[in-house]
Amino acid sequence: MNRPVYLDYAATTPVDPRVAAAMARCLTAEGEFGNPASASHAFGDAARVLVETARAQVAASMGAAPDEVVWTSGATEANNLAIFGVAEYYRESGRHIVTARTEHKAVLDPCRELERRGWRVTYLSPDRGGLIQPDRIAAALQADTVLVSIMHINNETGVIQDIRRIAAICAEHGGARLHVDAAQSAGKRDVDFAHLGADLMSLSAHKAYGPKGVGALLVSRRARGRDAAVQLRALQFGGGQERALRAGTVATHQVVGMGLAFELARAALESESERLAALRERLWRGLALLGGVMRNGDAEQSVPHLLNVSFEGVEGESLLAAVRGRLAVSTGSACTSALQEPSYVLRALGRDDVLSESSLRFGLGRFTREPDIDTAIAVVTEAVSRLRRLAGA
Amino acid sequence: MNYNEATQRYFETAPGAGVLGGPGTFRGAAGSRAHGTWVQFDVQVNAGVIQTARFLAFGCPHTIAVSAWVAEQAAGQELRAALPETVQQLSDRFAVPVEKRGRLLIVEDAWIAASRGALVHCGAALECSPVAPMSQGSK
Repeated sequence: MNRPVYLDYAATTPVDPRVAAAMARCLTAEGEFGNPASASHAFGDAARVLVETARAQVAASMGAAPDEVVWTSGATEANNLAIFGVAEYYRESGRHIVTARTEHKAVLDPCRELERRGWRVTYLSPDRGGLIQPDRIAAALQADTVLVSIMHINNETGVIQDIRRIAAICAEHGGARLHVDAAQSAGKRDVDFAHLGADLMSLSAHKAYGPKGVGALLVSRRARGRDAAVQLRALQFGGGQERALRAGTVATHQVVGMGLAFELARAALESESERLAALRERLWRGLALLGGVMRNGDAEQSVPHLLNVSFEGVEGESLLAAVRGRLAVSTGSACTSALQEPSYVLRALGRDDVLSESSLRFGLGRFTREPDIDTAIAVVTEAVSRLRRLAGA
Repeated sequence: MNYNEATQRYFETAPGAGVLGGPGTFRGAAGSRAHGTWVQFDVQVNAGVIQTARFLAFGCPHTIAVSAWVAEQAAGQELRAALPETVQQLSDRFAVPVEKRGRLLIVEDAWIAASRGALVHCGAALECSPVAPMSQGSK
C-alpha cells in the first residue's frame, strides 16, 4: 500500500539516516554508552566528549556559545524552564509577563499556570498577517514586567517575528527578559542567538531531522548593560547536571543526534530554503486555481517550508477526511475531542471559525519533491471540488 | 478521527447527492454553514410514495454520510415526516460520537422540513403537484 505524501514537516521530521547512525553508536556495549557524568573512567570520558561535541554543534548552528546550551527533553520543557525559571527567579522584581495569542500551547499553558499562581499575563494580538508589532510590545511593558515570550517562527503559519527589534525593546526596558520559542527555526532560518539579543531560546531536535525527546534551552551568558545575564530558578533537582539548571543524566545518544542534526540542517539551510520556496510557490499557485482560497499569514514574512491555506465552502473535518488517505497534512483545528475546535492562531489572525477549521497546513521538508507537490495539488483540488459540490456551493 | 465502515463508505460515495426539480418535488433545509452544519433534502413524491430523494450537505463526514444514507433509503418509502431510523439508531449505525449527535438533529430537521412540506401540499388525496420550495434553512 502506498503511504500518503508526507507534508507535515512542521509537526515532525524523519530522523536523518546519518543522525540515526550516530545515535546508534552511543547505545550498545561496543559504542559510547557510558554516563557522561562518570568522571572516574574512560567510558564516561568518551560519552562526555560526545555530549560536549554535540553542545558545540548546536551552539555553532545557532550563533550561541557552547556554555549557553542547556539540554532538555524538547522545546516544551525548554519553554517551561524559561518561563517558570524566570518567573520564579525574579518574583520579587515583578510578576508581569507579556506574550502573544499566537504562541504555541507550550508557552500559553505555562503562562496560564502562572496566572493561577498570581502572575499577570498580557496576551498580545497579531496583525492580520500574524505579525506582533514591536511597538505593541513596548506599549504592553509595565514597570514590573519580568519576561516577554515571543516565538520566532509560528508553527501554523510560518510567520517570522522581528526578534531583534523586540529584543531591543526589552533591553531598553531593562527588567524584561526575552524568551524566544524557536522550535521551528533550526534549519529553516539563519539564527544568530547573540545577534538577535534574546536572553533565552527554546530549541527542538525533531523538527530538524533529529530525534524526538531532546531539545535545548539557550541561556544567554551576556550581561545586559548594567544588569547581570539572565538567571533562572531550576525546576528539577537531583544531580546538578547542566549547570544545575536541569538535573538528570544527559542522554548521550539523544544529544549526539540533536547536535549532528543541527549541524546538517545549518549546512543545508541556503540550498534548502531556495528549493523549498520554489516548491511552496508551486503548491500555492496550484491551489489558488481552485478559487475561494486564502493564504494565512504574511507571505513576505514567512519561512519557505510552510504554507497555510483556508478553503471557502468546505468543512474542515470533511476536508481532512477526504485527503488523509493520500496526503499527510495538518488542519486548522485542534482535534482535542470528537468535536474539532478552530485554530486559535488563525482566529487571532481574524479568520472566522469556519475558515479557521477549513484550513490545511502544508509543511515541506528535505524529502519533498516536485511530484509530491503535484500530488498534493491534485488531491486537494479533487477533495475541495467534491465537497463544494456536495454542499451546493 | 476514525470513522466506521458505514461512515467511510457513505462519505466517500455520497449516493443521492444533488438536487431535484419538477412536479412533486419538495425541499427542506436546516442548519447553517456559518455554524458548521447545513443540510438540504429534495424529495420527489407521487401518490404518497417517495420516488427519489437527493441531499446537499455542508458538514462533517458523519453529517454527509447520514444524509446520503437517508436519501438512499427514502426511495419507494411511504411519505412521512420522520427519518427511516431514530437519531439513536443512526448514531449507532454510523458510530457518531455523542458530542456530534446534535448534527444528526439537523439532518432530521432538514428531512422533516422537506417531507412535511410534501405532506402539507399533497394533503389527504396524496396527489402531488409542483410547488415552490419549502423551508430553505440558512445557507
